[in-house]
Amino acid sequence: MTAAAVPAGAPLLQARGLTKVYQLGRVKVPALRGVDLDIRAGEYVAIMGPSGSGKSTLMHILGCLDRPTEGRYLLDGDDVSVLRGRALARTRNRKVGFVFQTFNLMPRLTVDENVALPLKYRGGLSRKERRARARAILDRLGMSDRVAHRPDDLSGGQRQRVAIARALVGEPSILLADEPTGNLDSASGAEVLATFGDLHRAGHTIILVTHDPNVAARAERIIEVADGRVVRA
Amino acid sequence: MGILESLLTGLDEARRRWGQTLLSLLGLVLGTASIVAVLALFGGQATNTAKYLDEVGGAGAVIVRDRALPPEPTPRDLASKRLTYADARFLKDRSRTLMAVSPGWARQLRYQAGGTGFTGQVIGTVPDYAVINDIAPMVGRYLSDLDVLTQARVAVLGWKFADSLYGTPEAAHNRLLTIEGKVYRVVGVLEREEFYFAAWSGNELEYRNERAYIPLTTAVQQYAENDRLDFLTLKASPASGPRLAQAEVASLLYARHGVVDFDITPSGGGGQDDDDTAFLLMFNYIFLVVGVVSLFTGGIVIANILLASVVERIRELGTRMALGATAGSIFLQLLAEVMVVTFFGGLAGLALGSGLTGVVAMIMQLPASVTPGIAALGLGTSLVVGFLAGLYPAWRAATITPVEALRA
Repeated sequence: MTAAAVPAGAPLLQARGLTKVYQLGRVKVPALRGVDLDIRAGEYVAIMGPSGSGKSTLMHILGCLDRPTEGRYLLDGDDVSVLRGRALARTRNRKVGFVFQTFNLMPRLTVDENVALPLKYRGGLSRKERRARARAILDRLGMSDRVAHRPDDLSGGQRQRVAIARALVGEPSILLADEPTGNLDSASGAEVLATFGDLHRAGHTIILVTHDPNVAARAERIIEVADGRVVRA
Repeated sequence: MGILESLLTGLDEARRRWGQTLLSLLGLVLGTASIVAVLALFGGQATNTAKYLDEVGGAGAVIVRDRALPPEPTPRDLASKRLTYADARFLKDRSRTLMAVSPGWARQLRYQAGGTGFTGQVIGTVPDYAVINDIAPMVGRYLSDLDVLTQARVAVLGWKFADSLYGTPEAAHNRLLTIEGKVYRVVGVLEREEFYFAAWSGNELEYRNERAYIPLTTAVQQYAENDRLDFLTLKASPASGPRLAQAEVASLLYARHGVVDFDITPSGGGGQDDDDTAFLLMFNYIFLVVGVVSLFTGGIVIANILLASVVERIRELGTRMALGATAGSIFLQLLAEVMVVTFFGGLAGLALGSGLTGVVAMIMQLPASVTPGIAALGLGTSLVVGFLAGLYPAWRAATITPVEALRA
């Protein structure tokens, strides 16, 4: 499986002067105050910071879930800070794989249906092809014996591995994980982190958002955010 | 994701949430059922009314009546002989739009046969009366042109009178009968006429079984001072139609009377009690209103439950957006869900409505049935309600930003 379109070492992700201001009633609340950031293809990066530091906002913008108030953000060479609506959804679908703290699996879909979901939104593949790709990824993550189960039948660690499979199935440029071990016991958490380690060695670009120094320590690089600014890159 | 995929996802979600959505459908099911049943029963009644009109002379019949004299009659008004048998013969000779001309004279007279006697209706008329009113003899014959020409002392009895005077209709044939002291020979007995609008109502045509028909000329000669008519019923030929016939009759009669002292109206059917009609109509409208109101309520319930479900599933919708779902595909998915649900709700309503129609039709003995048109209308209405109910929740879901949805 190819991990990224940009060769290793080149800047896959470039942010310049990112600011985000939320309007709460009449009060303007700045969440990001000019963030500059470079992440190269194949890097394993942890974004750390206390709650309220702006790390979640940064993750949303990097994951194309939100748009910056000001600044430029290049992903894979494309300026995605100017995109909106359908184009932004398309970028999310093709370039970003999300892993959430609470897994966010569809409870009524089976494991392989969950994993195939991003391909469904991409279009162009038959149901059979989508299922085959989903099963291939699940096989790689050691979940091939659980394809027909529903999320409720799985342990926390297994659910998160299904979520990782779903994030990977569309072969995105970056894997964006938001506190991926936050809802797991330590053994399951260790398993999931081991999976991220494997994926990194296979060439995937991984951005992990966490407040846990032990989790962050597994990454090659730690970016610390405080008060809406990058204080250590 | 294409439209088809969105619809399929919607279908799938609707299927998986079946238990939850079943409840929301109740209003829609009842509303559709009510509308289907009312339309079917309405249709049955319309069929009945059409049949009744056919029995009593059909929709093509035209009725001519004397108009009441104005408070200050002109000499022309006073000079007019009003509607007479001569008018009827004139119309029969001159008109090119009429198929049948049936003048009539009616009185309550004393019947006597053997030891039995009573007072009842006598109609003086012509053979055309049978054409317009669709009556036929079961024994013997009806009045003939010769009877009218010769002022024959013959009578054709209604079924009930034959039965009460002679025991059976067959026994009445060729027997003698006295009407107001004059002797007649019974040349025929008419078939028993029956028509019921509903099981609870009586025979609408019973009055026709309780009379005797004699030649109009005989009636005038034996019992009247002049040939004034009590009614004049006409039937337009199919090629001309009632409107043309009315215009022609008006001009022909004006030529004879020199004044418009008559009214020409299309046959309204008559016979059926006006109160009954009003009651049935009110009954129908009440049910129709109940149906529309419950459909409307059903729509609001669906919209509400869908809105609640959007709130409940907001994180799921956010996740779908994070995975690449566009606002359009979320909108379509939710709309497809509600449409699928309302389609099945409509089907259930159709089934319930058909059952209801069957039961009511059986109890009321109406020829009601759920036609394909009514079924399509019922199903279509529920789909429209579903579509309208789904629009707002779907729009709400589609306009939430992914971040908002994931944060919820």
